Amino acid sequence: MKTWFTILFGTLLLACSLRVLAQPQSPVPATKAPTPAVHKKAKSNDGEQRFQANCGRCHTPPEALSPREVKAVLQHMRVRAMLTAEDEQLILKYLAP
Amino acid sequence: MKRALGALIALLGIATSVCAQSDVPILSGALAFNASTTGGATSFVPTLAPVLVAPLGDHWLIEARADVLGFFAQQNGTSGPYNGRFFATFDYGQVDYIANPHLTITVGRFLTPFNIYNERISAVWIANLQDSPIIFTIGTRTSSASNGGMLRGVVVERPNWLLNYTAYFSAASTTENLLAGRAAGGRIGMFLPKAGIEFGASYQRFLQDRNYNAAGTYLVWQPPQIPLDVRAEYAYSPGGQGYWLEGAMRVAKNRSDTSWLGRLQTIARVQQFFKGVPTPQDILPSADVNQFDFGLNYYLPHDVRLNGSYGRQYSSAGNANIWNVQIAYRFLFPAWPGEHK
Repeated sequence: MKTWFTILFGTLLLACSLRVLAQPQSPVPATKAPTPAVHKKAKSNDGEQRFQANCGRCHTPPEALSPREVKAVLQHMRVRAMLTAEDEQLILKYLAP
Repeated sequence: MKRALGALIALLGIATSVCAQSDVPILSGALAFNASTTGGATSFVPTLAPVLVAPLGDHWLIEARADVLGFFAQQNGTSGPYNGRFFATFDYGQVDYIANPHLTITVGRFLTPFNIYNERISAVWIANLQDSPIIFTIGTRTSSASNGGMLRGVVVERPNWLLNYTAYFSAASTTENLLAGRAAGGRIGMFLPKAGIEFGASYQRFLQDRNYNAAGTYLVWQPPQIPLDVRAEYAYSPGGQGYWLEGAMRVAKNRSDTSWLGRLQTIARVQQFFKGVPTPQDILPSADVNQFDFGLNYYLPHDVRLNGSYGRQYSSAGNANIWNVQIAYRFLFPAWPGEHK
């Protein structure tokens, strides 16, 4: 068990280090985007409707999602909650316009 | 098995480093503390449940979840000093290939898709009541996970309805933290988005030791006009059968109400279990059980949730009061810093 966690954390640390080193520094601070804001008015009614209909089936939505996180979240939910490809695209546009 | 797991994790790390120029992995999950008193015996359970999700382009996805749990209880059940220890479990670690809108192929260790509680509701930051339903182990047995392969996807999608499916096979494993039974099964579900209704059925053939069937059905109803969630499951196995029905209602006009009162949610659950013939590896109760629970959720800002519940269990093996209090913080952030997209 200890071996697994050592491997896991070691690998994650290595992965993070490689990623940070490989990426040019962005002038934009790495803070959460001032967005999508799940509870704010959206441009895409379809996306909002899909979001409300699908995500709320199991859980309350997180208070905010940054655009950087949205793709991973939606792919995760596409597999876990059987979102359709169309759902994924519309919700993506709603959360990260 | 350890080498395989190590290789999988190493692959995950390297792949995400190399391929994730535009696909930022996320770390999600929850940090929670639960205090419970069941039949006079009190226990404390701190939990850290991290989830790693790493997309690799548009078609590949790596997901993993582990739980680090502590369990602290009095030495003699209801008296004596508190003792306990921490332990870790590896819930799932899977690679998904999203081939097309109708097919996703999953290999690795995945949550067994029997009904929907295990896959979608059991997470500590999602479940409205901290005690799992009595029938939870039907179809999921002791580890809740399967080791093998799974196919899933949407069969047909129409504006008013959607039909989805899941089919899987699991190999037996007795390795610590990778426990799984040899089994095959599937699930089919229908979702009616405009009505807020989802229902479906599950089947599993357990292929280890003594072969037997397990089957179940589920229903989710969320009327769009009011912030009410209704969930129910029924499950059968030779070891017993039962159902649970849960309703959760926000004290608000709509689901996006974030007023101080709108953050409050009331919960009620009723369940019954009828004992069958004991079967290998089930951890079902030894007698018929009737139980009801009442609870309150309060959703604080910053994804913190307070939860309290009271339940009463009636069984020929003994009646009991069940109290639970929990605070949970749900986190979600990119696995590493970077630029905005």
